Amino acid sequence: MYYICCMNSEFVQNWFSQVKKGTLSYIILIILDEKEYYGYELVQEIKTHTTLEVAEGTLYPLLNRLKAEGIVDSKWVEQESGIPRKYYALSKSGKATLTEMQKIWSALESAINKLQK
Amino acid sequence: MKRIIFTNPAAQKIYDDYIKRVTRCIRLLSADDQRDTLMEINSHIYEATNAALSENEIELLLDTLEKLGSPEEVLQPLVAYKKTQQATRTFNPVHILQAMRLNIANGAAYVILAFFYLLSVSFCILIILKIIYPSHTGLFMQNDRFVAFGFTTELRGGLTELLGQLFIPVVILLMGALYFLNTLLFRLLKKE
Repeated sequence: MYYICCMNSEFVQNWFSQVKKGTLSYIILIILDEKEYYGYELVQEIKTHTTLEVAEGTLYPLLNRLKAEGIVDSKWVEQESGIPRKYYALSKSGKATLTEMQKIWSALESAINKLQK
Repeated sequence: MKRIIFTNPAAQKIYDDYIKRVTRCIRLLSADDQRDTLMEINSHIYEATNAALSENEIELLLDTLEKLGSPEEVLQPLVAYKKTQQATRTFNPVHILQAMRLNIANGAAYVILAFFYLLSVSFCILIILKIIYPSHTGLFMQNDRFVAFGFTTELRGGLTELLGQLFIPVVILLMGALYFLNTLLFRLLKKE
């Protein structure tokens, strides 16, 4: 109880937003590993599987960056509505990147678990 | 880009205004990047407003746009990143200056970059001044002591210009070195 009362909420919030920023690209890669998604659908998928409150607009600069780095591929797909969807999928390099990130994440997770015991 | 049509005129105006703001925010990008960004934002608005159950268009649209965020804030990193890419790809001074302005908030490295670039521009001006005012532009020494490198209106007695006709080649070499350093720094920053 004492710890809850004295918690520095501002520090925790800042730390959490840093964690969020750092893990969002990892989360996106995990989701895209399953199948291709268009922007809005990807946002919904993130919301369904995580508790992260992501400003939806910030996702597009990140997807653009991932594309420029060659981690994801994108293509426009025409729709009956006349408003096409841009689908994103993991590239070959993206799959290798994700495997490497998963190794790092697992190592970090077990290190933290050990420390917390 | 196909415009989304709303039945409610107020919703249509809100949508059109938002698209105008997006267009304004991305005007520095290449035509392809502008079209791509606009189409993506438009697609998001369309999908979000069509997926929702509510029939109140205004409410739906406002909720969608609020979740997307203000274009000025949300698109800034995208514009800065794409502009930097364009600048490193084309070496066009206009793109380089625009990229520097957009990235200036990213840190001191960009301030150094801006300084180097301004120095290159100053050297370019010095070459023009050397052609127009040859005796007033150069490397000036007085009694074996360095006085100035550049342009001076006042030619005091004892002041000698050392480089003469070599001044322009030396300045061109300095400009080349600065441009090389700038490009190198730009690429390093892009890799971050």
